Amino acid sequence: MRYKSQSVAYWYFAVAMALFGLQLVFGLLSAAKYLGPDPLLYILPFDVTKMIHTNLLIVWVLTGFMGATYWMVPDESRTELYSVKLAIWQLVLWTAMGLATIFGYFFRYGTGNKLLEQPLPSKIIIVVVMLMFLYNIFMTIKRSGRFTTTEGVLIGGLGLAAVLYLPALLHYENYVISIFYRWWTIHLWVEGVWEMIQGGFLAYLLIRLSGADREVMEKWLYVIVGLVFIAGIIGTAHHYYWVGVPHYWLPIGGVFSALEPVALVGMAVYAYSAIRRSGLQHPNVLALHWTVGSAVFTLFGAGLLGLAHTFPSVNKWTHGTMITAMHGHAAFYGAYAMIVLAMITYALPSLTSGRREQGSPVGYWAFWMQLGGMFGMTLSFGTAGIAQVYLERILGLGYLDTQLKIQIHFVMLIATATVFTIGVGLFIFDFFRYPPRFAVSAEPELKPRGVADA
Amino acid sequence: MNKRQTRLFAIGGSVLAALLFLGMTLDSHRQFPKLTNAQNISPEVTLGNKVWHANNCINCHTLFGEGAYYAPDLTKITQLRGEAYLRAYLHDPAKFYDEQKVRRLMPKQDLSDADITGLIAFLDWVSKVDNQGWPPRPLLVSGSSLPGMAMTAAQQGSTTGTAATGPADTRPTTSGDNPIAQGESLFHSASPPCAACHSIAPGVNMAGPSLAGISALAEKALASGTYKGEAKNAKEFIHESIVHPSAYLEPGDMYSAAGTSFMPDTYATSLTPEQVDQLVDYLSTLK
Repeated sequence: MRYKSQSVAYWYFAVAMALFGLQLVFGLLSAAKYLGPDPLLYILPFDVTKMIHTNLLIVWVLTGFMGATYWMVPDESRTELYSVKLAIWQLVLWTAMGLATIFGYFFRYGTGNKLLEQPLPSKIIIVVVMLMFLYNIFMTIKRSGRFTTTEGVLIGGLGLAAVLYLPALLHYENYVISIFYRWWTIHLWVEGVWEMIQGGFLAYLLIRLSGADREVMEKWLYVIVGLVFIAGIIGTAHHYYWVGVPHYWLPIGGVFSALEPVALVGMAVYAYSAIRRSGLQHPNVLALHWTVGSAVFTLFGAGLLGLAHTFPSVNKWTHGTMITAMHGHAAFYGAYAMIVLAMITYALPSLTSGRREQGSPVGYWAFWMQLGGMFGMTLSFGTAGIAQVYLERILGLGYLDTQLKIQIHFVMLIATATVFTIGVGLFIFDFFRYPPRFAVSAEPELKPRGVADA
Repeated sequence: MNKRQTRLFAIGGSVLAALLFLGMTLDSHRQFPKLTNAQNISPEVTLGNKVWHANNCINCHTLFGEGAYYAPDLTKITQLRGEAYLRAYLHDPAKFYDEQKVRRLMPKQDLSDADITGLIAFLDWVSKVDNQGWPPRPLLVSGSSLPGMAMTAAQQGSTTGTAATGPADTRPTTSGDNPIAQGESLFHSASPPCAACHSIAPGVNMAGPSLAGISALAEKALASGTYKGEAKNAKEFIHESIVHPSAYLEPGDMYSAAGTSFMPDTYATSLTPEQVDQLVDYLSTLK
C-alpha cells in the first residue's frame, strides 16, 4: 500500500464479506424450500428469501466494486484519495440503506419488480451514494492530473452503471414496457458496463501481478470493451424474447448474443497470455488464481452456458426454467464475485498485519472449495433444467408434477451449495483473522518466474 | 493496431451499437400499442398490475417466462383456468393443493375481492399480449397431457385411484371443500378416472377428446342445430354428457359407432348426484 487513504478499502471489503455470508444463508434457505414442505411458509416464504438472496448479491458486489476502486485509483493516479471522510460516510449511508431495504423486505416493503425491488427511498439513496462516490473519484483524478486507460475503463463503467440505474426509477402502466426498460438496467449492467468494470480490474491486476506491458494490456482492453458493447448492447434482445415486443428482436437477439462470448474468450486469452508471456511473477500467487479464475469462469458461466440457451429456437423451450438459474449462478459468480475476491486477495496482505504475501493454505482451500462447489451447483441446476425442459415443456407434464420428479437434483444442489458455503466461510475467516493495518508499506517486488519466495 | 485505433474501435463500435439499439427501441414503441392491446389496459388491469407487484408474485412465479422458477408460469393461465377457479384458488390455495404431496404451497395472500378481480383482469390482459407465440405448447400447472405421467409408480400399478390416495397433484378433499376442487379430484379418482381418456390440455385428444374449453364447445354444439339432447346451457350439456354419454356424439369414428359413444355410461350410477355436479363445476371452468 503506497497511499494511506487506500486503507479505506478495508472497510468496504469487510462490509462486502459480511453481506456475502448473509447472501448464502438466504440462498441455502431458498434451496431448502425446493425440497419442501416449508415450515417457514408464513414467516419467511420463498419470494422473500429469494429476493433477499439476489438483492444482497447486488449490494455486496457493488460494495466490493467501490472498495476496490478506492484501492485502485490512488495506485493508478499516484495520489491520495480526495476525501477519506466522504468515502467513509458513503459506506455508512450505503450499508444503512442496504440493511434497511433488506429489513423492509421481511414485510414485503418493495416493488415486486424482479431485481429492482428496492422501494423509492432506497433507490434515491442509491443514486446519492453513486454521486458521492463518483465525485470523490473524479476529484482524486482531477487533483493528480494522471489518468490511465485502465482507470478510465473502470470509471467509465462505474459512471455508466449509475446512469443506467435511472430507468429503474421510472414507472410504466404497460407491463410490457416496464419489462423493456427493466432490462436496460439489468442487462446493460451485467452484460455491459459491469463487464467494463471487470475488465478494468482485470487489466490492473494483470499488470500488477504479471508485470505485463501496460501499453499492450491497455490496447487489448479497448478491444475487449469494444467487443463487449458491440455484442452486449444489441444483445439485450435476448431478454426481449417472448415478452410482447416486435418479432424482429428474435433473430437479432440470436445473432448478437451469439457474439457476446467473443469478448469473454478475448478476456480469458488476455489473462492467460499475460501470465504466459511475462517472465515475472508477483509473490501473491493466490490473487493470481482468483484473477485468472475469474476470466476463465466468466467464459464458462457467462459465455458458454449463456450461449447454450440463447438461440430463439432453443430458448423457446428453456425460457423460464432452471436452465436460466444455471446460467445466472455461474455467470454472476465468475464475472463479478470472483473479480471482487481477486481484488480483495491482492490488496489484503498490505491492508492487514501478519499476513503472508503469497496466501495461506486456508486461502487456497477457500478458492478450490468455492470453485468446486459452484461448478457442482451449476451442474445441479443444469441437470434439473434439462429434465424440466423435457418433462414439462416438451412432453407436457404439469409444472408441479415435474418439480416432484426432479427432486434429486435439488438434493444435489444443496450438497454442492454446502461445499461452496464452506469455501466462502473459509474466505471470510481468512479475511478477518488478521487485524487491519493502516500504514503505508513497501510494494513487494516482482521476481522472475520459478524463483522460490523467501 | 495501435492504441489509438483500438480506442476508436471501442468508442465507435459502442456508439454504433447504441444508435442501432435506440432506433429499434423507437420502432418498438411505435408497435407496443398494437402488440400489447394497450387500449385494453383498463383501471382493473392497472389495479391488478399493482396487486401483482405489491404481493411480490414475480419472486416465485414467472410471467412471460420471467421471474423466479419456484412456481408455475402464469402467462396464459386465464386461457387454461376460468375466473371461478382462479377466484376460489386465490382465496385459499391450500384448498387445491396439499403441501405434503406437492412439497410446496402458495401462501394464502391477503387479497380483497376487488384485488382478485383486478389480478385476474391483469393476467387476462397478459395472456392476450402478442408474445411471439410462446409457449410453444401449453404449460400445465398440474396433471399431464399424456395419461398416467403425473402418477407415481404405485398409483400406476392400480387402475383406479381413490379420493384418499389420488394422483400426485391433487389434494385429498373433504366435503367442506370448494366444489371445483372436489370436482378436480374426482376427475382423477372416479372409476374409471376421467383423466384416463380425457386430457385438459388443448389439442391433446386421447381415447376421448380434449376437454380444454369444454364450455365453449358446449355452447357451439347447442347452437349448431344438430344437437338432439335436452340441455339448455353449457352446464346442463356437460352434466348430460357425463350421465348420458350418447346424447351428444363428438364427430369421429374413434369416439363412437352406430350412435353410441365409447364412453362408459356407468357414471350415472357410480357417482352421486352431488359428485356429478362437482365434476360439472370443475369442467365448466376449463377454458
